[in-house]
Amino acid sequence: MSFFTALGVEFQKIRRSKILLILLIPVVIMWIPSIVNARINFDTRNIPITPENNFFIQGFMGMVWFIIPASLVICTVLLTQTERSQRGILKMLSLPVSIVKLCLAKFLVLVILSLVQMLMAVFAYYISAAAASQLQHYDFVLKPDFVFPVVLRIYLAAIPMAAVFWMLAVLIQTPVFAAGAGLVSIVPTVLIINTKLWFLYPISYPFYLLMIEYGKVAQGVYETEIQWLPWIPAAIVITIAALAISCIRFGAAERR
Amino acid sequence: MILSLEMKKLKRTGIFPAFLIGALLAGAFPIVNMLARAETFTSLPGEPLTILAEANWQMMSMINLLVLLCGACMMYHTEFADNGFQKMEMLPLSSAGLFFGKLVILLLLLALMLLTETASLAFCAGRWFPGSVFSLREYALSAGFWFIAALPTVILTLLIASAFPNMWISLGIGVILLFTVSVFPQDNPVLILFPFSTPYQILALARENGTAASLLTACAAEVLALSGAELLYQKIRRCFA
Repeated sequence: MSFFTALGVEFQKIRRSKILLILLIPVVIMWIPSIVNARINFDTRNIPITPENNFFIQGFMGMVWFIIPASLVICTVLLTQTERSQRGILKMLSLPVSIVKLCLAKFLVLVILSLVQMLMAVFAYYISAAAASQLQHYDFVLKPDFVFPVVLRIYLAAIPMAAVFWMLAVLIQTPVFAAGAGLVSIVPTVLIINTKLWFLYPISYPFYLLMIEYGKVAQGVYETEIQWLPWIPAAIVITIAALAISCIRFGAAERR
Repeated sequence: MILSLEMKKLKRTGIFPAFLIGALLAGAFPIVNMLARAETFTSLPGEPLTILAEANWQMMSMINLLVLLCGACMMYHTEFADNGFQKMEMLPLSSAGLFFGKLVILLLLLALMLLTETASLAFCAGRWFPGSVFSLREYALSAGFWFIAALPTVILTLLIASAFPNMWISLGIGVILLFTVSVFPQDNPVLILFPFSTPYQILALARENGTAASLLTACAAEVLALSGAELLYQKIRRCFA
């Protein structure tokens, strides 16, 4: 079985799960308060930022801090539980399919679901920015050549986090622990991006990138330059290590 | 009887260690915060408990809610996973009794978490605010307030978990609610009365703003309404299935 067939099979498995709906709801809900409270973007509290940038940053803040990590955790629960509940994973493991291929295909599904959610977020941003512009008679819409690179970078920064969550889901058999550990790890990111060792904590990467953008459009809020050097090697090592561990341990409990 | 039965079901799910770890993490939060930047807080005027709660409770309460959410989903997941729920229905037990058995266990675990966290706050107050007077009554009142404030949220998460056989749907809805309410403005007097929002409130501030009474009344009303909704749901559940 080629890798693409395996990927197709994985998508087939979650076809009826309505996961896209669950991914869409928080994205929509997130922007409603932004539209309703668009007026507060003019009150910048002495931070030198334009209202349209403020609208974008504040809107995406909730996305990078909570929605991306939490959605990834929910997707990992979906990917592991749909097969464990009917013992489907036993059947998969007894087929002549490489376990590494199976594991990576599931991980790729996770990453693609996250991409879909990011696209939904951009779409929702443009709709709500247009709506807010209508309501407040002020142009909140930012140019796509600013929005898309920022969102793309945030998305790429979420991949190491996805690898870590996937490793947790594979390693921890009891679903309550896997989901709980993932969700609880979201909470301290706010503190961690203000320490020097943020690059060791993959869950804080998207938040860090958005804070850099915040620092760029508003002087003095945060740093303005990305610390590429310890970060990129650390992120690559963490991602590869997490994926390697999950590939080795995938289905370990069932293969016993 | 139902309680020991429920305990037995949860024995191997790892829910008890999960709550223990959650409680320790949340309890470690103010201590780490004080170790990192004690002088920011010790210089503030006011009661140590209020200062510490204002600085840390948002995060600690979020950890509590996430662990409770996972616990609630897990409790019903064990029932639905291998059609255990259908077998339970054949037994001479009421399905509402099943719900309230689970609820009591969840509340006991919540009480344990709050006890650990209040003890940690008291430790921080004693360690970093040497001049302050320790009043057991204040700490007990505050913990009691947090317990009551969390009740509607716990019942609602368990209600959602009992309604969806797929664990990830109930987990997803819970996470969405948790997030949505956390982005609501906290100065709106009506919005803070909702489940998922009340657990973040602090007794001292609620007293100051005069919202303590309305918060507790709202919690009591929500507890009654949600329990009623669960009883009703258990009656009409078969129409959906």
